[in-house]
Amino acid sequence: MRKKRIIGGLVLVAASVTALAACSSSSSGASGNSGSSSIGLAGQFGSVPAQSSGTEKSGTITVAEPPSSAPTWILPLPTGASASVYNDYMFDYEMYRPLYWLVNGVEPTESPSLSLANDPTWSNGDKTVSFTLKSNYKWSDGKPITSQDVLFWWYMMKAAIKESPADWAYYTPGLGVPDQVTSITAPNASTVTMQLNKAVNPTWFWQNEIGDIQPMPSQVWDVDSTGGTPVTDWATNPADATKIYDYLVTQTKSLSTYATNPLWQVVNGPYKLTSFTASTGAFTMVPNPAYGGPHAKVESNYQEVPFQSDTAEFNAVKAGSVDLGYVPLADVPQVKGLTSTYNEFGYPDFGWAYIAYNFKDTTGDFNNIIDKLYIRQALAHLEDEQGYIKAFFDGAGGQAYGPVPAIPKSPYAPANALSDPYPFSTADAAALLKANGWTVVPNGVDTCAKPGTGAGECGAGIPAGTKLEWNIIYGTNPAVLGEQTQDWASEAKTVGIDMNLSSSNFDYMIANYNDPSAPKMINKWAMQDFGGFTDSTYPTTFGVFNSTGSFNVGGYTDPTADTYITASISSPQIAAVTAEAQYLTQEQPALFQPLPDNAFGTAAILVWKKTVSGPPASFESLTQPIWEPELWFLTK
Amino acid sequence: MIGYIARRLGTSIVVLLGVSVFIFALLHAIYPSPAIDVLGPRANTVLIQAWNKQNGFDDPWIVQYLRYMGHLLQGNFGYSYKLNQSVASLISGVWARSAWLSGVSLVLSVVIAIPLGVYQAIRRNTVGDYAATSLAFVLYAMPVFFLGLILIQVFALDLGWFSFEGSQSTSLLAIIGDWHAMTLPVATLTLISIALFSRYIRSSSMDVLAQDYIKVARAKGLPERLVLLRHLLRNACLPMVTLIGLSIPQLLAGNLITETLFNYRGLGLLFYTALQDVDYNVLLAYTLIGAALTIIGNLVADIALSVADPRIRLA
Repeated sequence: MRKKRIIGGLVLVAASVTALAACSSSSSGASGNSGSSSIGLAGQFGSVPAQSSGTEKSGTITVAEPPSSAPTWILPLPTGASASVYNDYMFDYEMYRPLYWLVNGVEPTESPSLSLANDPTWSNGDKTVSFTLKSNYKWSDGKPITSQDVLFWWYMMKAAIKESPADWAYYTPGLGVPDQVTSITAPNASTVTMQLNKAVNPTWFWQNEIGDIQPMPSQVWDVDSTGGTPVTDWATNPADATKIYDYLVTQTKSLSTYATNPLWQVVNGPYKLTSFTASTGAFTMVPNPAYGGPHAKVESNYQEVPFQSDTAEFNAVKAGSVDLGYVPLADVPQVKGLTSTYNEFGYPDFGWAYIAYNFKDTTGDFNNIIDKLYIRQALAHLEDEQGYIKAFFDGAGGQAYGPVPAIPKSPYAPANALSDPYPFSTADAAALLKANGWTVVPNGVDTCAKPGTGAGECGAGIPAGTKLEWNIIYGTNPAVLGEQTQDWASEAKTVGIDMNLSSSNFDYMIANYNDPSAPKMINKWAMQDFGGFTDSTYPTTFGVFNSTGSFNVGGYTDPTADTYITASISSPQIAAVTAEAQYLTQEQPALFQPLPDNAFGTAAILVWKKTVSGPPASFESLTQPIWEPELWFLTK
Repeated sequence: MIGYIARRLGTSIVVLLGVSVFIFALLHAIYPSPAIDVLGPRANTVLIQAWNKQNGFDDPWIVQYLRYMGHLLQGNFGYSYKLNQSVASLISGVWARSAWLSGVSLVLSVVIAIPLGVYQAIRRNTVGDYAATSLAFVLYAMPVFFLGLILIQVFALDLGWFSFEGSQSTSLLAIIGDWHAMTLPVATLTLISIALFSRYIRSSSMDVLAQDYIKVARAKGLPERLVLLRHLLRNACLPMVTLIGLSIPQLLAGNLITETLFNYRGLGLLFYTALQDVDYNVLLAYTLIGAALTIIGNLVADIALSVADPRIRLA
């Protein structure tokens, strides 16, 4: 299901998953509010109208496919290179559903009716987990989805990571699925049981680990060649499992055959692929008549129309040529011109945007400067979140102060997510610096006047004369990254903190400014703003702020934080992750930034024609960004 | 003549090799390996190093270059890890679209710009000349992106005469017949090029009109129509040979901005997308193809010029 993913650049780099309360016409918490933009915690732009009570009509619903989002991987086992919100949620999930649908409108909570399995049950001190598959979901060839189909996915996944850990995008060595699972069995046709090597947090393991599993049609895919005989010993013979996996990958790499290959015509999702253009990423799907989940009474075809730039996409929206599209953040002021044709709605994605600090950069003793809490607090005081939302997001965004924001609403938001613990105040920032031994030179460069570790002194590792100056690199896309960073640096300058600004490409930053994977670059950057992360449904920051995290880009190390984070994935308490978020919001291991409204996995406002209707939550979920087109219908 | 062509061809090959080394080294310096693209952002150093070793990205760059060029000679441009397709298949799927868009624009530009430039030269400092000059300056100064946006707003969104985007068909024949979709992208490229070409022709024509052979032709009683066609046009068009030769790369490399603006999938758009995605092999192939076409365009222009103007090959 929904996973922690890096965001930045033009789009989300990877994806998240969904949920919707049955075919209910009731809306989640977001809809029903007024249509005006708001500044502050609300973050909502526009509103979602109630589901039309008129006649449902069929047709083809056309959806804009954003730039760089053409599907390239159909096998429901995404690789590190292929995983994205677009490939996974706009494309793959329409055909191959995950076990659990963990988004409901804008909220990261389960939509049970859209889940293939009943909620898991735990025993043996949270070391044994079992779940049963629902009987209403079936494969499109009429066969039931069985526990063998889950096991087939499991052994394909094992074969994949044996070839390369990168062959399954969500693999973390030693953690979760599969490394913490000592055995997986199918006691009967609908039940799967896993034994774990130690007790885990049940919510974490359910929502962040097994929620991702996408059953595969084992009775159709258990071949290692086209037209070959079934290879049935995949569960006991790893070599044969590898042969099957390799064959499926070979077929997956043949993009031009996606719509014609019989393998991909057996689906359990609401749609079947009928056309796919490899060179453009355009595709059309038709309803799967055997789909057992909730859907519109009168279903329509689902068609994605690719666009190669946001400008071209917005022109299409202005021309009314797509049923669903988005308005890039920069064009939000033009939304008013669309209201006669389109509904509009904006809401932040569940996650966090941040400027990462490099705790290992020894240039100018930056590592010793940034590890002081008062410095990080002063930096937080220099951020004008409300100003950014007003000036740079045109009101389409919400404030956020830590890794778990107050919006979207979730069971995990800590108390200090509700009000800014370090509100914008250059005076407070300057006071903190002065109180800790720095000579503050407005519009100049501050220096450490009182070295030492005592009260009122700069702190360990900071010699006298140390200057508050360092470099900061921001991503060129979207433009709001640069705008916020520049404003922040400008405010910092007023209290004598000198930040040397430069911009870079998102992919370059990801590849080169990540201490764990690019140690040679550790002293090349002090701060960077590449975007941020979408939160997992269970929003632990494991992997990002724990000392050994693979994406702990700046090498943040705090034993207390490690304890909290470890508890989030191993203690039985659901509140553990709230405590983790509370601590990190207080400690500011990075500068947390406001969240722009999100649609289609990018900073944008969602728009859809007034002739398209459905349960409000099915439109709200697009902000997270999860697609549930099977619930939509045409009114004209 | 054959010797001249052989010398120019030899020079071009040397230049092409030099350019390929430069481009490869430059790209290698910026992106030494696409490992992160392939393995995902969560890959650690061990995994990255293993992948680099497995795929030869830990070899010295010159070794990588020679290997790449070896593959290139066999038509293998590498693999796009982002798009999960071979680069050759990506290019073969779009080059004809770019060639059509740029080719039609180029032909239209030349057909319109030559008579326009000649007209301005023979009617210089008249109202017509001033009007054409002003329009040319406006168009020439206008960014392609801006001109395209204006055309889309007026003729697609306001008047609804044409489509706001280029043809989305994958069939070249369908694209050729889809004037509703192709008019605005062709017009955008054409208007910008007319502005440039017509200025060259006007200037060149004015130079030619001042030549003695024009005066002689007129003095001997040759009708003005023949003076213009036989003596003025051929000589005034010599600069156009060079300009058209240099336009050959654009023919196949496409027009990045126009294709992006009009959502028209061609080589330019392929490059734009690759740039956004840091699609290593696509960037490398596109840049090398662009360089090769530029060199070939120059070569063709030189040869064509030597044919059109015998003084050049005698020099």
